[in-house]
Amino acid sequence: MSYCVNCGVELGGGLEECPLCNTPVINPKELEKVTVRPAFPREKGQAEPIRKKDMWLLITVVAVVTAVTCVLLNILVYDSSPWSLAIVGACALLWVMLIPATVPLKFPVYIYLFWDGVMLSVYLYMLTYMTAGQVWFWRLGLPFVILLTVVAEVFAFCMKHLPRGFLVTALYIITSIGVICSGLESLIDLIVLERISLKWSAIVLTVCVIIDATIVTLLSVKRFRNAIRRRLHF
Amino acid sequence: MAVKETAQKKKSTLHHGNDWYKLDLSAIVYPTLQRRDFSSVYRLSLLLREEVEPDTLQKAVDMALPRFPTYKASIRKGVFWRYLEPNNRPGPFVQPDIKNPCMPMPFKANNRYLIRFYYYGNRISLEAHHSLGDGTGGMCVLLTVAATYLRLKGYEIENGGFVKDIHSAPEEGELEDAYMKYANAKVRPPRPSEKAYHVRGTKEPFYTLNIVDGIMSASEVMAVAKKYNATITEYLNAVLLYALLQKQEAEWHLRLKPVAIAMPVNLRRFFPSNTLRNFITMIYPSVDPRLGEYTFEEIVVHVHNYMRYYINEKLLRGDITTNAATQSHPLIRIVPLFLKDFVVSRFYAAVQDQHSSAGLTNMGVMKVPESMKSHIERFDICMGQPFSRRTNCAIISFEDVLTINFASSIIEADVERYFFRKLVKDGIHVKIESNREREE
Repeated sequence: MSYCVNCGVELGGGLEECPLCNTPVINPKELEKVTVRPAFPREKGQAEPIRKKDMWLLITVVAVVTAVTCVLLNILVYDSSPWSLAIVGACALLWVMLIPATVPLKFPVYIYLFWDGVMLSVYLYMLTYMTAGQVWFWRLGLPFVILLTVVAEVFAFCMKHLPRGFLVTALYIITSIGVICSGLESLIDLIVLERISLKWSAIVLTVCVIIDATIVTLLSVKRFRNAIRRRLHF
Repeated sequence: MAVKETAQKKKSTLHHGNDWYKLDLSAIVYPTLQRRDFSSVYRLSLLLREEVEPDTLQKAVDMALPRFPTYKASIRKGVFWRYLEPNNRPGPFVQPDIKNPCMPMPFKANNRYLIRFYYYGNRISLEAHHSLGDGTGGMCVLLTVAATYLRLKGYEIENGGFVKDIHSAPEEGELEDAYMKYANAKVRPPRPSEKAYHVRGTKEPFYTLNIVDGIMSASEVMAVAKKYNATITEYLNAVLLYALLQKQEAEWHLRLKPVAIAMPVNLRRFFPSNTLRNFITMIYPSVDPRLGEYTFEEIVVHVHNYMRYYINEKLLRGDITTNAATQSHPLIRIVPLFLKDFVVSRFYAAVQDQHSSAGLTNMGVMKVPESMKSHIERFDICMGQPFSRRTNCAIISFEDVLTINFASSIIEADVERYFFRKLVKDGIHVKIESNREREE
């Protein structure tokens, strides 16, 4: 029979330390461990995975049927322009984006994001058949999708492998917004002006840098955090 | 004549033609809160005086469960509401116990059963989703299974109390939604609206639920409670409020908040009903530290008066009426389920969950048939995973053994420490069991 010297409670079920205050249990007279069956088992349980096959089948059928019927409608009835490409592309894009939620396969998140990027590029390319030329795709659409995919991949990496508190997540999001906005305006400028001349995105970038600097300071200087806490308390 | 009566009785229990059951008033809310890492699951355990044989336990489950049609059921989605459907798939199967009880319970897993049976040493545990019923209903299922198990082992166990006759058909009252029967007050008292203090702590990783069981003598606790002129529930409520106040004081806060406990009240005590489904309502005993410093004695008096004022048939009827008004509103009824889910889950997280700092339930003294007493060592109850970062406290007693269970999904055990230290300080001998262990 062991008692916690801090809490005064008896410790049952072979506990090696007090679960209330983490004080180790040491009986100087019984240094050899006494085997007592613990009050709770050691094995952890896992929830049974849910079958996603039915939902995947339903989404596939709906996407395929929508695409096929629209193509037929385009060929046989409203044949003035290849408008069904937009629907077919949207169905394919939606299907690919729903893969993580519906297909019972487990890939790293980076693979899913890569597929999303590829599919979005294919969709935009399909749209070029409905527009006057392909320049906008090669000079704006595709580079922007690549930028979005890279930012999303980096964001996913940071969320997975780096610290993930509220402030840190805010830091990642604000930085991503800044990069995406400045990237978008740069690409537009390259098409329209043939040179980069940041305007509105420079303001967004400035705000993002200020917020990021504040967050980094709050995160890194403990003394600073404590000083704010000390001065604001009442 | 007897055959005719039985046939009539059976017919009257065929709720909706025995095809499906509407969810009761409380049960409507629980599935909307379902997340990948959260289900409203509670656990009831029974410690026998001998090692449990899994095969015999499985036989007992198979024999006893059909007696409880609302527990041998699966949950389904309709256009406007969810409902329960009889589940004739194989199972539920008894399984060895695990370290992290009350795991999330996806509706489509486990052959769509919303109950699980576990065994470990001499312990039989039942975990049930709250949409099937409350602790009283769950306890009937567990004790009937345990009585059947003991009978299969060759012991003579009579029916009575929580132990139902597995050869009889369920009574109509056992399957009813008792809320709607009593939601008939002329006014609807407002719900509490003030935000309460929320315990700060580091969230445990997914699939971790920290359990701390305090086992003590019921008569010792009763004697201490009497010293404060309170009942056991009032005294333990006061101790938990005291612990939460201490925890709030120890943390840094820009401004203090009231400390409140969400406490379910078993409505069967006030409204005659033998339903095995949910029939509880919440009360919120609280202490506001902004009014000044409270001594423990003052907290006990405060809780005592609060309970006297709120726990009576009139105010509870008003409370049920307030809750039922939302469900029976014609405009709300025609809103599609996915919209209801969206609104209710957000309302719960933003408003309802903010009203309390911790949960506390007292199942009271377990009454079992005389012949069963000698086979039972004690009972355990676990309120399950808290919806937000906090701790839930559940109390149950049998003979002279009172068990207080804390379940929390945060790493720190401050509230539990303050709570049990106060009991020890009041002269109560507490034995602690836990699944907490530090990772090396």
